[in-house]
Amino acid sequence: MPVIWFIPVLALLALVTLYPTGFVIWMSFQKTSYFQLQGFVGLRNYATILGSGSFWEMARVSLAYLAGSLVLSLIFGLAAALVFNASGRTGAALRVLTLFPWTLSMAVVGSIWLWMLNPSFGPIAYFMGQAGLSPGLMLGDPDVALPLTILVTAWWSFPYVMVMVSAAIQSIPAELYEAIDIDGGGARQKFRYVTLPHLIPTLGSTGLNLSIIYLTLVTLLIVLTGGGPLGATTTLSLEVFRGTLQSVDIGPAAVLSITVLVINIALGAFYTRLTGRVTG
Amino acid sequence: MSDTAISKPATFVGMRLIALVIAVVVLGPIAWGVATSLKTEVMAVRLPPTFIPSPLTFENYDHVFRYQGFLGELWNSTFYAVGAVILALIVAIPAGYAASRFDFPAKKPIMLVILATSMVPGVAVLVPTYYVLDALGLLNNRLVIVVLLAARIAPQTVWFLQNFIDAVPVEIEESASIDGATRFQILRLLVLPLIKPGIAAIAVIGVVTIWNDYITVAVFAPDVTKRTLQVALVNQVFDTVGISWSYMMAFAMTASLPVMILFAIVQKWFVAGLTAGAVKG
Repeated sequence: MPVIWFIPVLALLALVTLYPTGFVIWMSFQKTSYFQLQGFVGLRNYATILGSGSFWEMARVSLAYLAGSLVLSLIFGLAAALVFNASGRTGAALRVLTLFPWTLSMAVVGSIWLWMLNPSFGPIAYFMGQAGLSPGLMLGDPDVALPLTILVTAWWSFPYVMVMVSAAIQSIPAELYEAIDIDGGGARQKFRYVTLPHLIPTLGSTGLNLSIIYLTLVTLLIVLTGGGPLGATTTLSLEVFRGTLQSVDIGPAAVLSITVLVINIALGAFYTRLTGRVTG
Repeated sequence: MSDTAISKPATFVGMRLIALVIAVVVLGPIAWGVATSLKTEVMAVRLPPTFIPSPLTFENYDHVFRYQGFLGELWNSTFYAVGAVILALIVAIPAGYAASRFDFPAKKPIMLVILATSMVPGVAVLVPTYYVLDALGLLNNRLVIVVLLAARIAPQTVWFLQNFIDAVPVEIEESASIDGATRFQILRLLVLPLIKPGIAAIAVIGVVTIWNDYITVAVFAPDVTKRTLQVALVNQVFDTVGISWSYMMAFAMTASLPVMILFAIVQKWFVAGLTAGAVKG
């Protein structure tokens, strides 16, 4: 009975993942008062959430955060990989060092940047002041908190893109470049016709993986802004986290959870398609 | 190694310079954090800010080690990371072996279930999990945390093991089974020793992932005696009145130290593990 070999892992996943997933769906159809379930109400929680302005505002923040972080990480990651790849042994050594931030926890990354971006004593505010720019409140300013948060996220995650792209670059057969040499093409042709086409699948799958991380990311936001100021950095996932800790009405919180779940599964399905990670 | 064609010496030097700038941008903030952790509290907030700590002091690290919660939090971080990785390996090794070696009708649906669970983000099941653990009186329970965290890394552990076992030739097992060894003996005595480096790579990635976790412990085991270094670090941020930047940086660096050491020793496995996850197919 080969199924027996899978029973331990399936039992663990059923208990910790599948059961709560079913439960959160059921919960979303219940009338709730804080943590009390008080009977079936159909789609009323969905109507409440989807009809509230704050939901759409959080959805907008989540999308802006995801898109901004993704674009910056992919561009910086691709550029860094190309630069390191063209820098010989120096590049190889620096590539390893550059991966380092990716191993740090979001709590540590957040506290380092909270200090870097401190408007009174941080180095960035000081140098901006020296350059004649007003640093303002930095992460405390509702207009720049989200862009700054996106920059920190990109700083933390572009090394991951860089490593994935580097691995892909190194798997490109050298003959393809030689062929362009023979045809009299230069560096630009090599990038356009060999490097880039080979990197597109990697950029796609890495981008999807990062999208999932950004969608569900909570800790970095908690440390940097706590979702503020004035909700400028409150994403759907952050609201679910806060709702769990602050014992809000769990019916509507379940609807928010399901929103995150559905988007995540959609991204995950694309990722699976792209990487061909199917079923053995 | 296929250099993307740029071969003129001047460009090459230019490239190295850009490479150096990238490394400085990436490592600069971390270096600033380290420098701050070696300053006195007063020196850390002096203007204009200076990079070099003068006077150099280790008093912040001394405070971190003497702070009474530290050893408990260090132990919890270690216990959760090691415990969850061991549990994940225990459940995933038989599954990874079966996924690689057996063919049977239920295999496809089973692998699909494992794939589906990997797509459920932890944050989406926070509310129901909290509800159930609260009702059962299982909040602030160390073993529960280990089980929750093990489930989070279990799917990827199964796939990695499956890939590694795929690379072991089946012929090795055939001679053993003629000698009357059971499948389980073959797995334990023949296959596992051969994939040790793979297991080590998975374990390193798992330990780093779980060591760095904040949400699971913050929500399900917030008690001061059950929390981790990461949770203690984030709680300092909330305590904005008494914040000491030099102390906080020392705490952040101390909380990262085990990960830094692991990274330094096994960065090749780490990179291999990261890229193995997505290059497949």
